Amino acid sequence: MASEPFEYTPQAADVFTQEVMARSGQNLTACYQCKRCASGCPVAEDTDMVTPNRLIRMVVLGDIENALTNKLTWKCLFCHTCGTRCPNNIKTGRIADTLKKMALDAGIDPQQPEYKNFHRAFFNYSLRWGRINEIGMMGEFQLRNMWDHLKKGNYVAILSEIMSKSTLAWKMFKQKRLHLSFHSSKGRDEISRLYKKSSGRKWI
Amino acid sequence: MDLAYYPGCSLYQSAKLYNHQIKLVLGMLDLKLKELEDWSCCGATSAGKINDFMAVALPARNIGIAESTGLSELVIPCSACYSRTMVAQKQLQDFPLLKNEINFELSKKTTGNIKVSSALDVLRREIKGSRFKSIPLQKLEGYSPACYYGCMNTRFPYDVPISDNVENPQAMETVLEATGVKAVDWNYKTLCCGASSVIYNPEGALDLMAKIMRDAVSRDADCFVVNCPMCQMNMESQQDNFCEKHDIKERLPVYFITELIGMAFGLSKEELQPGDDLFINGMDWTDLCGDSV
Repeated sequence: MASEPFEYTPQAADVFTQEVMARSGQNLTACYQCKRCASGCPVAEDTDMVTPNRLIRMVVLGDIENALTNKLTWKCLFCHTCGTRCPNNIKTGRIADTLKKMALDAGIDPQQPEYKNFHRAFFNYSLRWGRINEIGMMGEFQLRNMWDHLKKGNYVAILSEIMSKSTLAWKMFKQKRLHLSFHSSKGRDEISRLYKKSSGRKWI
Repeated sequence: MDLAYYPGCSLYQSAKLYNHQIKLVLGMLDLKLKELEDWSCCGATSAGKINDFMAVALPARNIGIAESTGLSELVIPCSACYSRTMVAQKQLQDFPLLKNEINFELSKKTTGNIKVSSALDVLRREIKGSRFKSIPLQKLEGYSPACYYGCMNTRFPYDVPISDNVENPQAMETVLEATGVKAVDWNYKTLCCGASSVIYNPEGALDLMAKIMRDAVSRDADCFVVNCPMCQMNMESQQDNFCEKHDIKERLPVYFITELIGMAFGLSKEELQPGDDLFINGMDWTDLCGDSV
């Protein structure tokens, strides 16, 4: 993939780096590119050579577009192997996580379309009922996916969504892993008050 | 001794068996688990993907409830809940303003000081105790489990005290050895299984699980032993998928650590797996315990 040479703009790089550092709580400028993180990363063989150390360098240089759209940012599993091996204690998993959030804030579509819907469905369900019921949560996740397909007019995808997820559900049901009982927590008004308090906050 | 107990959502649903077994096994060690009243979801990894404040506030509510019981220790069997609670607790200690803000909305305020342990930590501690030594152990012969820890036992997104070796944890091996089972030595005990990405990036997750499987098989392991409901679910329910994708012929059962310990304690199959609504196939009980079962 031939691309235009990247032009370094100190001020833009600084603003971007400061925001990533504040939101992730990590000191990116401490990275001296020793690549211990790179050798431990379980997804790095599948990210077009973007390793955790290179991700840090992208951010520090202010290469915003690549930082928000490279494969590592989206494939990172938050397993923290990089963080435990870093001699400077930089938890790059949290940087990738921050970049995902910044990309979503900027209206960039996630590389795995279902990523956003899954976490949104899980989080909303835990706020709404106080506890996760797997069937309900997965149902919400599926509805969100189908709504996305509907907006794009992709009816075939809706059908395959129903087919694939109901196959999975049936398989789990046969393994006696799907339970139909419903659980909730009475403390959900406390939780929704806390949620109101969190609105507009970009970090803790 | 009484311990505060946070089961978490998955132990009420897909990992119901783990909830049942952990109570049974710790009960035999004279530890009574007092479930937190009206506990709520810890947010797992999803809360932190969307809202950093709620990622601390959700576990904080449970920590507050645990502290209000007056018990000295909170036990959490699920690795994800354990990780989230440990991280949230340390952040509450490190950021007093944040703690005040959260406490303002909570009916049971948190100080962030209760001791949080995983069920595995408790087991490892108890095998040194006199109660454990007084239990007559059944011999589990011909078993070479691969102890699989996954990410969340030893690696955290924030600096918290870690109870085991980060790269080569030994808690499950130690516990199993005390019950007479020698676990295999292998390389992939802390490799990530892909966790929830199996939903939105299945191919990547299957490749990781195949690596774990292949190493366990090449070390002649005959089962996996895990303490994380997510790892258990992935490694078991996806096993046919990743083995077919990567031409692995072998299949290994995936047990919770409590299953093997329960058997060593002489619990029967009916006691460990009662009713119809619990899962796990594959364990051949007659093979293990002779005619006594």
